[in-house]
Amino acid sequence: MARLLRSVAFRLALGYGVLVVGTMVVISTAVYFGTVVVIDRGVDAKLSKISEQLVDRFETGDVQALQRRIQQLLTDGIDRETEVYSLLDADGRNIVGNVSALGRGTPLDRLTDQMIVRDGRPSSSRLLPRRLSNGDVLVVGRDLHDVREMEQLLVRALLVGGVAALLLAVGGAALVRRQLEHRMAAIRHTALEIEAGDLSRRIPVLDADDEFTRLNRDINRMLDRIQRLMEGVRDVSNAIAHDLRTPLGRIRSRLDEVLRPGATTEQLREAAGTSIHGIDELIVIFDKLLQIAEAESATRRQCFQPVTLKDIITDVVELYDATAEANGVALVVDVVGEPTILGDKDLLASATANLVDNALKYGGSAGTVRVGAREDRETVSIVVQDEGPGIAPEERVKVVTRFYRLDRSRSLPGNGLGLAIVTAISHLHGGRLSLEDAAPGLVARIVLPRAAA
Amino acid sequence: MQCLVIEDDADTAHYISNGLKEAGFGVVWCRNGVDGLHLATSERWDLVILDRMLPGDVEGLSIVQAIRTLGKTTPILILSALASLDERVRGLRGGGDDYLTKPFAFSELLARVHALLRRSGMKEDVSELQIADLKLDLRRRRAERANKPIALQPREFRLLEYLVRHQGQVVTRTMLLEAVWDYHFDPQTNVIDVQISRLRQKIDKDFSPPLLHTVRGVGYMVCVDG
Repeated sequence: MARLLRSVAFRLALGYGVLVVGTMVVISTAVYFGTVVVIDRGVDAKLSKISEQLVDRFETGDVQALQRRIQQLLTDGIDRETEVYSLLDADGRNIVGNVSALGRGTPLDRLTDQMIVRDGRPSSSRLLPRRLSNGDVLVVGRDLHDVREMEQLLVRALLVGGVAALLLAVGGAALVRRQLEHRMAAIRHTALEIEAGDLSRRIPVLDADDEFTRLNRDINRMLDRIQRLMEGVRDVSNAIAHDLRTPLGRIRSRLDEVLRPGATTEQLREAAGTSIHGIDELIVIFDKLLQIAEAESATRRQCFQPVTLKDIITDVVELYDATAEANGVALVVDVVGEPTILGDKDLLASATANLVDNALKYGGSAGTVRVGAREDRETVSIVVQDEGPGIAPEERVKVVTRFYRLDRSRSLPGNGLGLAIVTAISHLHGGRLSLEDAAPGLVARIVLPRAAA
Repeated sequence: MQCLVIEDDADTAHYISNGLKEAGFGVVWCRNGVDGLHLATSERWDLVILDRMLPGDVEGLSIVQAIRTLGKTTPILILSALASLDERVRGLRGGGDDYLTKPFAFSELLARVHALLRRSGMKEDVSELQIADLKLDLRRRRAERANKPIALQPREFRLLEYLVRHQGQVVTRTMLLEAVWDYHFDPQTNVIDVQISRLRQKIDKDFSPPLLHTVRGVGYMVCVDG
């Protein structure tokens, strides 16, 4: 029972049940008073009225007229089961009527419940005795046994109903708890499996649209994201192992070599120089990894501002125009409209610069590189298109991962982080990077959601 | 030139001090925030170089704020391993004049120090810059050498203007990227070098003496004789 009480579902359902029972009690009370009290009032009003009429008859006629009237009322067959009429003399003896005697101390001129002897039998009655001007007492009343019976019936019915409702509430609470526990078990089971290390587990989602299904979908989405992040971390660890340790090893062995006896000052100087160069390259990689981490952590969203893509594209093109010129490539700005988004100017410029850099580096030694911006109803995109060899469809997924480099570009300077940065920056802005075939060449698109106006 | 270096790491501090002394500066090194704050606010300095993360959880920026609150305009260069754009912006908004991330090359530091001292030294609003027979008309954005007009794109003009304003000083690639393009990211390839060589084609090719010189491993310098 204690365990049952600790269950939130049980407590909720039980609370609800108690509320239902409480409501029932209130309604029953209202019904009880509504019936019994109304009947009682009706009785009282009727008795007062008849008593008035009889007193009236006595005062306008005489005692005989009253006695005749009482006789008439007792023999007319109406309300024979319940009616009480009597005229008693000053000493309490019955002159006419069906009451043998009044109990001692029965108050006069007031409606009270009294035990009397009616037609020789005891009876609980509502009585209104009145003293007449000649000293006689006129008694008008009503036997209440039928009303009392009805009252008892009502009380019993309400009690039985209340107990049944209480039982239903408790039973219902237990049932609801079972149901919830059952639905919850799926989530807990999955959580346990994930805790045990299997991050690929997901909560089975029913084909329904209730709260639990929605919650399960949300949790599953969150798990997808966590899994992606974890895979990202694993990729980074692998990448660090390969792409940072290798150059570090190179620097170390080179320094080790010149420390052997017999090295000339010239050799030492040269080794120091190349080491510094190697370390500088490592610092660049380091900065880029941090930049990706920064973009992925999404903290920079706080300082988003309206950014005009045309300005960014013009800036980046003006930065790369000399390089394009030196490569014999035409770098063309191709902005349609005035696309504006909410974002980070530096990061978007960095992403664009990365794409332009790639287009110039890998897009062939001649031709045109178009840097543009487009907007449609829902999205705004930065588009960089070259006329180079493009990227094979099966390679397009891989090139956006960290440190991945195409075979043909390994001989060129670079560190395989450019597109990873672009992807991270796109995600930070709620968008994505798409790579498509431009036949010939490659179209790289950063597709971003439009700024909310 | 008196320079205060507030830096807790002894190796870095020696690296900076030795370099600055060689370059003709007087250097005082201080390794904790409390002394640093005291020295920075009680004496006159031409330049303060300070680290952001100091012993005892002292944030270098609070020293910068203290200096600025006292109304001192001493040029301050912030050195920090906190490299993200946010931190950089915080450093500059917090009163720093320049922000250099660790690890750094001393040549980069020295170039920035010279630029800072120059910035604090001259504030006059000139309309024309000149070196040898190269003239820049800043109002009309025109350049000419030996009385022959040189066609420059707007961005090339800004690049040349920055170099001529800092004539006789070494200017690094990142300084150019920040000053001329206003971006704080590192372009992967040698874009700045290519920009410079195109500019050199335009201002030096048919003229003598050459004005735009490459300082190997550091950056560029405009001067009459390299």
